[in-house]
Amino acid sequence: MNLFSIFIASLLVNNVILSKFLGMCPFLGVSTKLSSAVGMGVAVIFVILGASVVSWLLYYYALVPLGLEYMELICFILLIASFVQFVEMFVKKTSPALYKSLGIYLPLITTNCAVLFVAMDNITQKYNLIETAVNSVAVAGGFMLMLVIFATIRERLEGSDMPKAWKGNPIAFVVAAIMAIAFSAFAGLV
Amino acid sequence: MKILYAILIAGSLLALNIVLLIANRRTPVPEGCENLVPDCKGCAITSCAIRNSYTKGDTKND
Repeated sequence: MNLFSIFIASLLVNNVILSKFLGMCPFLGVSTKLSSAVGMGVAVIFVILGASVVSWLLYYYALVPLGLEYMELICFILLIASFVQFVEMFVKKTSPALYKSLGIYLPLITTNCAVLFVAMDNITQKYNLIETAVNSVAVAGGFMLMLVIFATIRERLEGSDMPKAWKGNPIAFVVAAIMAIAFSAFAGLV
Repeated sequence: MKILYAILIAGSLLALNIVLLIANRRTPVPEGCENLVPDCKGCAITSCAIRNSYTKGDTKND
């Protein structure tokens, strides 16, 4: 599979939210405003890319040579948690402006299961380091794309006239379902 | 021998995580960012520790 195919497949066809149903918490929780959705999306791209590359290096340069592949899950969880702590600390120290826009979303990303999924999927698919980086950016980009689309729809829904019982999460779930149906049209593209 | 390596790797990662957690908490928040709150109120999980850490005042009123 070439890099372009991996990118399109992860971005649209096997979208992490609409086809894998991962990362639903931030998808519903941080999609009430477009500005929050963009901030969260950029932070997710940054963390997923970094965490996946570091996980890949740990797996192939420590776990495989020692025959400890079965420790993949526990190691990746600890590594991702450590990576997010490190990134938050680094951004706090070096770039207050970046911290103002992205830093606040970093604690939320620690609990995003999509991050762990990408790290483990890269190993399952036997991707090399470049393919890992491309796949990670594509998955995170797909996450951000859905988050931004969903946030724009929810912003418009805020002002719309609808029964009280439908307001908030009920209508959000209906919209998410319609989006999932629409994006299922990409199945078979790659 | 394998089990020792396994404990060593898991222990190292755990220690790294704890060290970074403490270091991160000790790092001061930049000026002007003290009262930043993530806009995650759309999430219905009211028992979330992250959400409650930012909305302690609000939850009393809820």
